[in-house]
Amino acid sequence: MENLQSLLHGFTIAVTVPHLTLMVIGVLLGILVGVLPGLGAPNGVSLLLPLTFGMQPVSAIILLSSMYWGALFGGSVTSILFNIPGEPSSVATTFDGYPMARDGRPTTALATAFGSAAFGALVGVILITFLASWVAQVALAFGPPEYFAVYFLAFASFVGMGGAAPIKTVVALAIGFAIAAIGIDTVSGSVRLTMGIDELVKGVSFVVAVMGLFGIGELLIAVEEEFQARAVSSRVDWKEVFRALGRLPQHGIALLRSAAIGCWMGITPGGPTAASFMSYGIAKRFSRNGARFGTGEAEGIVAPETADHAAGTSALLPMLSLGIPGSATAAVMMGGLMIWGLNPGPMLFVDQKDFVWGLIASMYVGNIVAVALVLLTVPVFAALMRIPFAVIAPLIVIICVVGAYSVSNSYLDVVLMLGFGVVGYLFKKLHYPLAPLVLAIVIGDKAEDAFRQAMLMSKGSLGIFFANRLVTTLVLAGMTLLLLPLALQIVRLLRKSDEAAGEKVRII
Amino acid sequence: MISRRALEIVAAALTGIFGVVVIVSSIDNDIGWSSAGVDAGTFPFLTGIIIVLGSLYNMGQGAMGRGSLAMVRIAVTPSELRRLAGLFVPAAIFVAVIPLVGMYLASAGYVFAVLALPRRQSVLRALVIAAATPLTLYVVFERMFQVSLPRGALAAAFGF
Repeated sequence: MENLQSLLHGFTIAVTVPHLTLMVIGVLLGILVGVLPGLGAPNGVSLLLPLTFGMQPVSAIILLSSMYWGALFGGSVTSILFNIPGEPSSVATTFDGYPMARDGRPTTALATAFGSAAFGALVGVILITFLASWVAQVALAFGPPEYFAVYFLAFASFVGMGGAAPIKTVVALAIGFAIAAIGIDTVSGSVRLTMGIDELVKGVSFVVAVMGLFGIGELLIAVEEEFQARAVSSRVDWKEVFRALGRLPQHGIALLRSAAIGCWMGITPGGPTAASFMSYGIAKRFSRNGARFGTGEAEGIVAPETADHAAGTSALLPMLSLGIPGSATAAVMMGGLMIWGLNPGPMLFVDQKDFVWGLIASMYVGNIVAVALVLLTVPVFAALMRIPFAVIAPLIVIICVVGAYSVSNSYLDVVLMLGFGVVGYLFKKLHYPLAPLVLAIVIGDKAEDAFRQAMLMSKGSLGIFFANRLVTTLVLAGMTLLLLPLALQIVRLLRKSDEAAGEKVRII
Repeated sequence: MISRRALEIVAAALTGIFGVVVIVSSIDNDIGWSSAGVDAGTFPFLTGIIIVLGSLYNMGQGAMGRGSLAMVRIAVTPSELRRLAGLFVPAAIFVAVIPLVGMYLASAGYVFAVLALPRRQSVLRALVIAAATPLTLYVVFERMFQVSLPRGALAAAFGF
C-alpha cells in the first residue's frame, strides 16, 4: 500500500488554502473557455502558462489541471442547451442532452451530465492511483496495428445503430472520411484534396464542421418547425438538481460500463472522443430503453459523459508516466513541465514524488471543486433557455461564426461553416445520419494513418492485425460488434416480418 | 413548394458531385502500393468511389419514391421556405460583409436588423442588444483570450 501512503502525503500538499484558491480560479476559467465554442482547454492552458513560470511546479500544475477539468465540464453546457458541442468529446452528449433540454428539462439534463461526468472522472483518478505502473505497460504495448484496431472498435460500436437507411449511413461515413483527408497527409507529407485552395492545406477543422452541422443545421430545422421552447419555470429549481443526481444510481450499470470504456480508451490512446461515441453506441444497444435513445433519455446522457471524463482523466497518465501527451491540452501542459524543469517520463515517479502525488491528490480535490462550482451554475445556464428564440437565434449564429473564425483565424472557415449548416439541414431533413459523419471527421485521419503505418510495418500483409493477442482481441471484438446487429436483424426478420414496420426511430 | 423527391435527388446529386471531386483530386496523389507503402491517394480514392456508388443508389431510391421517408410527399411548404430564408439569408449577408466591415460592425448590424426589422422586439431593446454583442465579443476574445477578430477593409482604410 505504498501508493496509498504517497497519496495521503499528496493530500497534505493539495489541500491547502492557496492551492484550493488556485483550483477555484482554474475551474472557473476552464468553465468559461469550455462554454465558449472555438475556445477550448488548449487556449486557456496556453494563456495561463506564462503566469505559472514563477510558481512552484505543484501549484502550477494544479492551476492548469483545474482549468482542464473546468473546460471538460463547460464543454457539455452548450451541447445540451444549444446543440453546439464546444469540444469534440461532447458531441455524443448532444444526442440526448439537447432533446431533453428542448423538452423543458434543461436543469435535469445539465445535472445528470455533470453528475455522471464527476463519477467518470472519479473512477479515472482511482485507476491512476492504483494502477499507475501497470497502465504504463499497456500503453507501451500500443503500436500502429493496435491503434487502428481501437479506432475500428469505436467505429464498429457506433455504425449501424442509428436506424437510418444503411446506404445513407455509408455515404455519410465516407464523406466524413474524405473531409478528414483534406490537407497535409501526415504519412507521406503530400497535400490532398485541396483543389488548389491554399487555405485548405491546414485541413477542415472539426469545430468548423460541427458548428455548422449541429449549430446552424439545428437552427434551420427549428425555424422550419416554428420551434417554441417549452416554458421553463422561471424559479431557480435547486431541488431538481438534487433529484436528478439522486436518480443517477438507477443507471448504475450504465455508469460502471461507461467508466470502464472511458478508462480503457483513455489509457490506450483512443481518447475521450472515441470513448464517448463508443459508450453511447454500446449503451443504446444494451439498454432496456435503447429504442428511446435520441429523444431525451437520461441514460443517453449518462453514457457519453461518464466515458468522456473517465477517458479525459486517465489520459493524463501516459503523459506523466511515459511522456506521451494524449491530447493538445496535455501537450501544452507537458511543455509547462519542461519549463518548470521537470522531465516527464518514468523517472518522474521516482525523482519528483511530491509533484506526482500532489497532482494526483489534486485531481480528487479539483474534481470535487469543479463539480460543486459547475452544479452551482446549472440554474444560471438553464435560465438561458428562457431567452426568446427570436433573440437567441442570431446570437447562436454569431457564436458559430466567431467560433469558426477563431479556430485558425481564417475567413474561409466561416464560409465553410455556413456551408456545413446547409448540409446539416439537408441531411437531417432527409434522414442521413450525422453521427457517423462527425465520428469519421474526428478520428478518420488517425485511423487511416494507423492503418497505413501498420501496412508499412507488415509490408502489405493484413496478418499484422492478428499478430498478437491484444490486437487480435480488439479486431475480433470490433467485428462482433459490427456483425451482431446484422445477425440479430436477420433473426428478427425471419421470426416476425411485420411487427417492426410501425416502429419509429429517431435518426442521429 | 419543394417535393421530397426533388430534395432527395438534389441531395444525392450533391453528395455524388462531391464524390467525383474527391476521386479526381485523389488521382493526383497516386493510388495503390509503392515503396512508401499505401499511397496517399488510395484512401480518398476509395471513399470517393463509395460516395459516388452510394449516391447513385440513393438517387434511384429517391426518384422512385422509396425508402424510409416514402410516406412524406412534400418536404418544404412555401411558408416553411419563407421562415428558412428569413434565418439563412440575413446570416449569409452577415458572413458576406465581414471582410468588408469587420466582425464587430457586421455583428452589431446583423443583430439590429434581425431583431428590429420584423418588429419582434422594440427598437430600443434591439439597439441595446446590438451594441452589447460586439462589446462582449471584444472583451472576451480580444482582451481576455487575445484572439483578434477581423476588423475588415473599412477599418483598414481608416488606418486601424
